[in-house]
Amino acid sequence: MSYVVPSDLRYTKTHEWVKDLGGNHYRIGITDYASKHIGDVTYVSLPEVENTLRREESVCVIETVKSSEDVYNPIAGVVVAENSAVLNDAPETINTDCYDEGWLYEVKASSADDYESLMDAEAYKKFLAELGD
Amino acid sequence: MHKTPLFEIHRRLGATMGEFGGWDMPLWYPTGQIKEHLAVRETCGLFDICHMGEFLVTGKESHLFWDRLLTNAVTTMSDGQAMYNFMLNEEGGVIDDCILYRFDETRWMLVVNAGTQEGDYEWLKQHVIGDVTIENIGPVTGKLDLQGPTAPRVIAKLIGTETIVDLKFFRFIPEVTIGGVKCILSRTGYTGEVGFEIYCHISETVKLWDILMEAGAEFGVTPVGLGARDTLRLEAGLPLHGHEIAPDIPAVGTPWEFAINYEHEFIGKDALLAKRGHFFVYPFIAEGRRKPGAQARVIANGAVCGEVISDIIAVSLGKKPAGFVRTTCPLETGSVVTLEGEKGTRIEATIVENPLWKGTSRKKMATFLQ
Repeated sequence: MSYVVPSDLRYTKTHEWVKDLGGNHYRIGITDYASKHIGDVTYVSLPEVENTLRREESVCVIETVKSSEDVYNPIAGVVVAENSAVLNDAPETINTDCYDEGWLYEVKASSADDYESLMDAEAYKKFLAELGD
Repeated sequence: MHKTPLFEIHRRLGATMGEFGGWDMPLWYPTGQIKEHLAVRETCGLFDICHMGEFLVTGKESHLFWDRLLTNAVTTMSDGQAMYNFMLNEEGGVIDDCILYRFDETRWMLVVNAGTQEGDYEWLKQHVIGDVTIENIGPVTGKLDLQGPTAPRVIAKLIGTETIVDLKFFRFIPEVTIGGVKCILSRTGYTGEVGFEIYCHISETVKLWDILMEAGAEFGVTPVGLGARDTLRLEAGLPLHGHEIAPDIPAVGTPWEFAINYEHEFIGKDALLAKRGHFFVYPFIAEGRRKPGAQARVIANGAVCGEVISDIIAVSLGKKPAGFVRTTCPLETGSVVTLEGEKGTRIEATIVENPLWKGTSRKKMATFLQ
């Protein structure tokens, strides 16, 4: 199976994507691979604006018809926005448009260090190929 | 992991695959679990169920063999009848739930779950009596489930209305040819809707799949994965081995007492009688959209008295969280309990009657063929 992996994003091994919005401001979501593997999303619990998040902390839970998935925060920082406006009424947007309308939340970090340490698109594609499905 | 003959078809269709009972199976297709679930309730779905196990049992004493090993009234069965059973261990725990088919008094087929079939085979062999012989035909048997209100029209198109119009719930046709494929056509299923479980030789399963997909196209047939199979069965009030029934829990206090007939001596009977009142299994439904989570604690009247054993979003019931709980205390229908998840989420749920959803499974076949 082939998965969509936009070239302008960075990625984690737990299938989160990160978009650099400039000035250490980052937008976060889950990848096409993740959204296809977790199934139809029925509920999303998002972190609140002004929360401070640690790296790799589970800060967001995505519930599907059959299970519940943790999102592991890739960038330490303060939450400056979250997408409840879309995801409260239409959680399935994560399945239909995971890179755009289905974004989860945004953080402001103190530096670019966390972002720089993430996989780029080519490395993530290789990682997916090694997962073998 | 084992693969069924339809593995390449599932991959080609873009299915998300996952492991179930040691098999690499489709969880859902690009349609998605919710749409697949709804398709079974509204038109029909086609499931690859080749992973389940089947045993052919013959012998003059086979009816006595079943009478000892299975909980239901198997000695009352007639030719062409299927019956749902539990196969218990000495402690009253469920080794497996299964469907017994009677071809005639000395020829039977037992259909069991995928992950438990090896253990089931050992258990059957250990308890052979007289001239009973057991053949494991799982490796040579394919199984496809066609389920949903338009399924009868698909089958009628292929083999004629008159062949199925009088087929009652839990009865089967031992031999029928569907598009050139020799099949057992059983009016049984795991979804709560009218439909069929179709058994054929493993080498013809791909051909049968193609035949059913083609004949079913005008009736809205869609491939359905194991994800929707679970939400459909739970709404329909059916247990899943390993969840509602398991080898280490006596099968008492469940909504499936109809599968246990206490008028005969079966393995595990004494344990069940001794453990009555120790456990209870109930379906629940909650408001909101958050699920309690597997193994969430059940709190009733201020005390922890059980845990959640299955939980889903009930697609056909307004996408409310629903599932089954197992408790050590009896609960009245309509009572409200708190379900407390691992991460501290607390959800109020109502204990309800089983099943949550009353589908079309038992309706007269003729009503679907007008």
